[in-house]
Amino acid sequence: MTALPAKEQFDVIVVGAGPAGSAAALLSARAGLKVLLLERGEYPGAKNVSGAVFYGSAILNQLIPNWWEQAPVERYICRRDIAFMSPTTAVALDFRCAGSGYATAPYNGFSVLRPKFDRWLAAQAEAAGAFLLTSAVVDDVLWDDGRVVGVRVRREQGEIYGKVVIACDGVNSFLAKKAGLQREFHAHELSLGVKEVIGLDPAIIQDRFHLTGNEGIAFEYLGAITEDVHGGAFLYTNRDSLSLGVIGQVSSLVERRKRPYELLERFKAHPAVAPLVRGGKLREYSAHLIPESGWAMQPKLYTDGLLVAGDAAGFCLAAGLYLEGMNYAIQSGLAAAETAIAACRRGNFSARSLAVYRKHLKQRHVSTDFRAYRHAPSFVNGPRLQNLYPEMIARSMEQIFRVDGAPKRKILPLAYRMVRQSEIRPGQLLRDAYQVARAYLW
Amino acid sequence: MRIAVCLKYVPDPGTIEVDPLTGLIAADRLLYMLNPADESALELALRLRPPQGTVTVFNVGPVEADRLLQEALAAGADAAVRVWDSAISSTKPMITTILLAAALRAAELPDLVLCGGHSVDRGSGTVPALLAEHLGWPVVTEVTQFEMQPDELQSGRMRVQRRLARGARAESEVTLPAILGLETGLVHLRQASLPSLMRVKHTPIPLYGLEELGLSPQDLHFPAMTLHEVMPPRPRARVMFTPDCHRSAPERVAQILSAGVAGKAGQILDSGTPEQQADAIIDFLRQHGFLEKSP
Amino acid sequence: MVMTTHEEKMRTVRFRVAATPHIVVNSEICRNECSVHACVYVCPANLFVPLDDGGILFNYEQCFECGTCYIACNQENAIRWSYPDGGYGVTFRES
Ligand SMILES: Cc1cc2nc3c(=O)[nH]c(=O)nc-3n(C[C@H](O)[C@H](O)[C@H](O)COP(=O)(O)OP(=O)(O)OC[C@H]3O[C@@H](n4cnc5c(N)ncnc54)[C@H](O)[C@@H]3O)c2cc1C
Ligand code: SF4
Ligand code: SF4
Repeated sequence: MTALPAKEQFDVIVVGAGPAGSAAALLSARAGLKVLLLERGEYPGAKNVSGAVFYGSAILNQLIPNWWEQAPVERYICRRDIAFMSPTTAVALDFRCAGSGYATAPYNGFSVLRPKFDRWLAAQAEAAGAFLLTSAVVDDVLWDDGRVVGVRVRREQGEIYGKVVIACDGVNSFLAKKAGLQREFHAHELSLGVKEVIGLDPAIIQDRFHLTGNEGIAFEYLGAITEDVHGGAFLYTNRDSLSLGVIGQVSSLVERRKRPYELLERFKAHPAVAPLVRGGKLREYSAHLIPESGWAMQPKLYTDGLLVAGDAAGFCLAAGLYLEGMNYAIQSGLAAAETAIAACRRGNFSARSLAVYRKHLKQRHVSTDFRAYRHAPSFVNGPRLQNLYPEMIARSMEQIFRVDGAPKRKILPLAYRMVRQSEIRPGQLLRDAYQVARAYLW
Repeated sequence: MRIAVCLKYVPDPGTIEVDPLTGLIAADRLLYMLNPADESALELALRLRPPQGTVTVFNVGPVEADRLLQEALAAGADAAVRVWDSAISSTKPMITTILLAAALRAAELPDLVLCGGHSVDRGSGTVPALLAEHLGWPVVTEVTQFEMQPDELQSGRMRVQRRLARGARAESEVTLPAILGLETGLVHLRQASLPSLMRVKHTPIPLYGLEELGLSPQDLHFPAMTLHEVMPPRPRARVMFTPDCHRSAPERVAQILSAGVAGKAGQILDSGTPEQQADAIIDFLRQHGFLEKSP
Repeated sequence: MVMTTHEEKMRTVRFRVAATPHIVVNSEICRNECSVHACVYVCPANLFVPLDDGGILFNYEQCFECGTCYIACNQENAIRWSYPDGGYGVTFRES
């Protein structure tokens, strides 16, 4: 690649080198377009936080065959747990899978560390011919005659022009807001994740989690773990560290006056978690927002000369069983690139021409997934599903297994008594059951 | 006027973590940055540069440092040179300055060399002086300010302010060519413009190896000073005051509360030779545990 | 150590502090119009310090740039929020 003269115009300007942006830049560059990838961090990933299990292995494999052999992945995930917690007990659903794409290529998911993974993915976009510029904050989009024609970087002579701009600038997306595609968010639509990477010897990790070689686990926790704050917690294994964190809805943190890092400490001290993290050493603490409301907070996805992808478009599925954003970020980034490539071929960058973005999103199952799970977030983020029911399940098990000389109760009467004690009306319970089913089953 | 600035690529002190078991620095946790004093040296060089002048930046370091030199070019430096060779095994000031002196000669000697006075990693603060030794030039260290009027540009003299102990300042004048060692963090480097940042992204940085510098590996062999070990600071055992056990309880409490300072009973040394007086002071300090007892 | 204080947590994070603040808090509004002081609880970096007079003392230097404070703040214009200049601010190494 040679140096570029100042006023040069790009075909595509991608803002943000997270998974969405790097995927969009990579595909556009491969199609022979002139691509600029702008990132505000010192390097791609410097500002980014995920759990992080990346469930988009198969997608990436289509772009970069056997990508995991060259990428900085930590462990492939072959065991997943969902634990329902009371303050002292945990009941877990344990899913282990040794074959069929979980423990074999292309693998279902890998734990990754974002600063390393994002750097690698952006380097792949560069290798494909994209021009990556770091330490470049984009402050605004440039307009001409009612259409977006470029962006303004916060530096001298920072105006730069492109035929299409793809905003992949993450959950706070100022670009989507500046372009009038997104409204301001409410505190109940976003969750704050606080996270720690805790160093631990690989041999201990293998012993403790019954893993061999590069196998890894992903544990998710619901219930009393966040006390009365709506949220959950996670714990994943890396090569020589654990990633763990607590996620709490912003409005509910405010209501309950809870400090996120104190919840994190409580999580680590829970009797079911403490033995897993014992002996570890804190390596890094971090925090980031998650767009939890999915479908409900989706912006207008495009306008003349501009497309929005990834977290910026609300493509993050955070609904109880799922915490998936990186895979949808990549899928939507690719869909945006496909749209940009087609628009460049036609030489037409109007909103009408960019409308095929919807079709590409559908083909890549992004919009279909989010439509399917549109009922999940509002309900899952409610107090009953995230806190009350999981805790009730844990407490029920506590009583079912208890041997204390008192007469043994059968499970149904026990559960009935639990519900009675918990101020939930039976009608409510039925409605909730219906909602769970609607959210996840059909 | 031709100005040279020496830039060092250093680990961010905030990212240096020593493994308590091995005593080694966790290399994978390090992030690198431009040494802050060097950053300020570059910014001051750019401000000082007269219309016909040039600023050239020099670095002794591996290829990772090219990024830093490119950033210097983006900020406005006219040229950059990196010195490295597979035969270079250390970046001790003694060796770095031999290489820098040779590189300055190879690139045609400048009128002024600006160095950060201290680096945040090694921080021996010896680079400006050693470089002056190799070039046979005057050096001013701990420089806090310097300026050059147009007429001074002609006469080749420049006014320099130095920091002395206890906040005192000294004004001096130095004849060029000269070397200045600058205080840390005087100013921040300017933000590069977008076009220059993009321009330097793929700008190749000229590399000087030993051969280009007319040096051989023997020239870098420098046995006069060898680093044996770096040890973490360990507090020295101190003499603690304990009250005299023959005294009554109230007296002992009073002694403890006074922390061993015996009232106003000072001693004025107004007789004897200066040597005797000095001995008396040293004795006093030894007795009270401020100095170690002589062996 | 697994259990850590907030200060110990913050010490593991690297910040390249910019010369100018990217977040500015208008303490007047905090003092006169806000009774919730949400920012004090939610900020994961614990950067909002409540003052006796109801105002807020804020320091931008160790900020994660997460956005939680301006989302949680219920008062117009109390927080002026943007990203720090390119390359400055928080720089995660492992997260
Ligand atoms: C605690 C936590 C745990 C999570 N766990 C998981 C998980 O296990 N698995 C999973 O799949 N997802 C997870 N997610 C969600 C996932 O992190 C996001 O969905 C994903 O990162 C979205 O990718 P993106 O590329 O859209 O945005 P981001 O990754 O946020 O990238 C946006 C990029 O744009 C840059 N940028 C922003 N503004 C500007 C600007 N103005 N100028 C220049 N650059 C800019 C940023 O620096 C950043 O690099 C988690 C999220 C959190 C917070
Ligand atoms: S929530 Fe907003 S208005 Fe209230 S104290 Fe915090 S910053 Fe000020
Ligand atoms: S952006 Fe996040 S870390 Fe920074 S002050 Fe606001 S809440 Fe705290």
